[in-house]
Amino acid sequence: MNILTALTIGILFAIAMYQMLRRNVIRAAIGLALISNAINLYLFSMGAYNGVEAAYSTAIAQISDPLPQALVLTAIVISAGGFAFVLGLLYVVSTRYKTSDSDEIEGLKH
Amino acid sequence: MRLFAKIRPMIETVLLLPLVLIALGLLIVLPLRRTALTNPQAGWFLSLFPLAAFFSVLYAYNLLPNGKPLFFRLPWLPLLDLHFSLYLDGLSALFALIITGIGTLIILYTGYYFHHTSTAGSHSPADSHLEFRFFAYTLLFMLAMLGLVLAGDLITMFIFWEGTSISSFLLIGYKYKEEAARKGAFKSLFITGGGGIALLAGFLFVIHLTGSADLNAILAGRDVLTTSPLYPVFFTLIAFGAFTKSAQFPAHIWLPEAMSAPTPASAFLHSATMVKAGVYLLARLNPALGGTDLWFWVLSLFGIATMLVGAYLGAKQNDLKPLLAYSTVSQLGVLVALIGQNTEIAFKALVISILAHALYKSALFMAAGIIDHETGTRDLRKLGGLRKQMPILFGVTAIAALSMAGLPPLFGFLAKETLLATATHPTLPPVVNAIFPLTTVLAGALILFQAGILVWGVFLSPPADPKHPAHGHDPRFGFWLAPALPALLSLLIGITPIEPASLANFLAEAAKAVYGAKVKVSLALWTGINVPLILSIVAVSLGLLLFWQRNRLRPALMAFLPNLTVNTLFDGTVQGLDWLAHTATRLQAGRMRVYLRVIVLSAVVLLLLLVGLPPLTLFQNVQWNLMGLNGLRAFSLVVMATAGLATVFLRRDLYAVIALGLVGLAVAIWMALEPAPDVALVQVVVDILTTVILILGLNAIPRKQRARANELLHSRRGMTRDWLVAGLLGLVVAWTTFTALELRPRQSLVSPYYAQNAKPLTGAKDIVGAIVVDFRGSDTLIEIMVFGMAGVALYTLFHFGTRQLEERAAKEPGVKLLLPGTPKGIYALPTSPLLHTLAYVILPLAFMLGATHMMYGHDQPGDGFTAGVIISLAIAMWYIVFGYEDTRRKLPWLNRNHFVAAGLLLALFNALGGLVLGAGFFAPVDYGKLLSLPLPPGFALSSAFVFEVAICLTVIGSASLMIDNLGRPREEENT
Repeated sequence: MNILTALTIGILFAIAMYQMLRRNVIRAAIGLALISNAINLYLFSMGAYNGVEAAYSTAIAQISDPLPQALVLTAIVISAGGFAFVLGLLYVVSTRYKTSDSDEIEGLKH
Repeated sequence: MRLFAKIRPMIETVLLLPLVLIALGLLIVLPLRRTALTNPQAGWFLSLFPLAAFFSVLYAYNLLPNGKPLFFRLPWLPLLDLHFSLYLDGLSALFALIITGIGTLIILYTGYYFHHTSTAGSHSPADSHLEFRFFAYTLLFMLAMLGLVLAGDLITMFIFWEGTSISSFLLIGYKYKEEAARKGAFKSLFITGGGGIALLAGFLFVIHLTGSADLNAILAGRDVLTTSPLYPVFFTLIAFGAFTKSAQFPAHIWLPEAMSAPTPASAFLHSATMVKAGVYLLARLNPALGGTDLWFWVLSLFGIATMLVGAYLGAKQNDLKPLLAYSTVSQLGVLVALIGQNTEIAFKALVISILAHALYKSALFMAAGIIDHETGTRDLRKLGGLRKQMPILFGVTAIAALSMAGLPPLFGFLAKETLLATATHPTLPPVVNAIFPLTTVLAGALILFQAGILVWGVFLSPPADPKHPAHGHDPRFGFWLAPALPALLSLLIGITPIEPASLANFLAEAAKAVYGAKVKVSLALWTGINVPLILSIVAVSLGLLLFWQRNRLRPALMAFLPNLTVNTLFDGTVQGLDWLAHTATRLQAGRMRVYLRVIVLSAVVLLLLLVGLPPLTLFQNVQWNLMGLNGLRAFSLVVMATAGLATVFLRRDLYAVIALGLVGLAVAIWMALEPAPDVALVQVVVDILTTVILILGLNAIPRKQRARANELLHSRRGMTRDWLVAGLLGLVVAWTTFTALELRPRQSLVSPYYAQNAKPLTGAKDIVGAIVVDFRGSDTLIEIMVFGMAGVALYTLFHFGTRQLEERAAKEPGVKLLLPGTPKGIYALPTSPLLHTLAYVILPLAFMLGATHMMYGHDQPGDGFTAGVIISLAIAMWYIVFGYEDTRRKLPWLNRNHFVAAGLLLALFNALGGLVLGAGFFAPVDYGKLLSLPLPPGFALSSAFVFEVAICLTVIGSASLMIDNLGRPREEENT
């Protein structure tokens, strides 16, 4: 089971990175959203132990590690905010340069 | 409250007073802008602050218990043994009094210096506006300088040391529109800033060796410090810092160029204060670091070299200010050489010279400024014959110049006598015994020569250019008072028939602090016929001889060695750095793809280097148990991978976005199975929100443009390379994830604490929720700030972008904006009445759902964030159903920016409530219990609930800002 999880997270990272490495900035944004998800899963798998029950103080059986959950919760919100801003940038760039090709977006470098 | 309790009202607290007074003056400068005060009025008023500081230092000095220093300490970061501490003994008192005393006069003088009514005709309103910026910089500098000499530990001292570098940069570059000012400011910052870095490194060595930054500990740590094998290293670093600051050869080059500062700054910084900082530092540390051979040789050699170079270069100058600057360089060399000697008499000479120089040099600088101000030039080739026009200034300048020349009966004579007495002291090594007197005599003669040509060239000689004689008249009272006071003081100390015992004692205290043992200081001018007197006569005769031959000597000097090559070296260094920076910048491709490639590859290489290849044993017991929940997990994983791949291979952007949404939902399922219901819930709502705003964003980008970009996505160029890089990253991630998962379960250091304390400390059953809103509340506060800012930033971005477009639309007929009146619905589709009704029903429902989430989220999945997103999604539905304009009209209460602001403020106040009512910032408070309100069971009106509400408000505001801005109708171009 673990190998399947690990492989899937790896595949998600690879896809997201591939999207970001291409010249299409819209797909790069999609890649960004994808990699945020993948990173959250990655964080989860760094948790110390797995649980049978959710992390409530009323739980009887082994609970799942609450710390990565809290961190991921924060991460989800931050990446959503960041992603919205990236979309705004995409729009501004596309109106100013009339393109979604990152190689044609010059003049931001300097 | 607790902070102040730590400061017991002790006598040491008085040390804060001078700093507080100067800071107060600094704070008052800005409001002065709004008053109708003229510059002189402001000068008189503001000079009260340094004057008060002067007396407070005097007061504090009189409190010194039996000559023992006063020490004040305020804990700053006690964990790192960092403190803010102040220290007052004879030496720091001497410097502090010079700084505040001269500072008072400088502030007064500044007011008149910037008052331009005397030059009739050129008077304009711009001339008479208040130079509050200059006053502020000067006071800022004064604060830094005062802090530097009063600092009680090396770290405090370093901070103030850097403060002087920065504030002097501002002062030198005050006339920033002139290139010379900018260059001079840069050079001084570059050199003194570089010295500051070396100084910090040296300080850190010292702190490490003595185990403390405290001056007390360091002054007592001489044995540890001087015997350490690292002594040469930190000595060199500290000496480098001191030498650059005190303009020792060859770092002296910044001082003449710093003369592009307005004269009040030069008079203050480059006579009495800033350049003496290095001298102060060396004197301060002499008991800890001094007395070694290295100390002696380095300080003597650099000091003597500087003394000669300064005296020689000064004799060449035509401009009054550089002339004075070089004589200052020379004098600084003398002071440094004196510190190197480590004999009683040397320190006596040191303290007398410091005071004498501060008095006459500040007077001369201020006089030079007045000459410039009244006649319009400082060039000796244009001046002359001003004796009758400016009698008062002539008197002031003559007295100060006589003191500089070291002639009796002035204080400067006394300084030179003691200096020459040092030169003849028998305890010195034989080489220096010959060199030191010789060079001192030579430098003394050259300085006398300079003082002579200054007074002669400006006041006594016939006008240098008879066709255009310089005109001027004596300035107003306050203007000449400033230089007159120190000049008169130089005279008074010299001629008082009774030896001023209190001053002598004061100077003896200062010298004692440097020497470490008692120093006898007498201020009697006449000590009988002895070697110093004979040397002095030699020096004076030589100087007079030079002055007599001035018309031959000066052209010869100017022809000989036109300029030293140090400046070339400096310029070369700066150019080299520029070149290096430029080359390094060229390596930056400016393309994100290239950076990403480099980042990924280096991360992979680093990981392989640090961790190595994965052990194969890990893969031996791979288990494929897909029964029960594992089956569901496997299903979600397969969906994730498939939908993820689909985001690449689906050609239409809309489908790719939907596939992305699917990935998010599958992730939510996986999280729910973890089991992590809180996270799963947030993941679901955020995933929907993301998809909605992504679709809105996509809609804003023209279809043709997107199609063209998609060609690129699937072009073969670079495809293999990109897949390789991406695949490599995927493999590494998969490997590390697998390792982490296989090693479960392991001991967690922090999680058990949260699990055990969530209920007792916060009253929440939901441990994750407790971590988010209670244990790590500050984290969450920052998190919603980020989310709130994202919305506001988006608004700014669009507001700015569309305003430009609107302007363009007004000018160019080709662009037309689709604003009010366009069809309903963001997509301009006709919407059905059913949808309308649904939207009407859903919004209040969403509010109710949000409210339950917030009220009971502490014991169940759900929190303020989820509530906010749910409500925002209902609002998004309105946008889609009713369109942009109608929604804005129908929901007038939805002021997005106000929501964000209200949410953040509420969160902040709620956290502060914990500080006031509870155990600290963000501490849980149960308001319901506090007010004994009748509340339904399971709901607590606690600070956590208020925080959830705050989060919810922020999220509603920010998310609607996102939807609103991305969903706003766009302009269309008729192409």
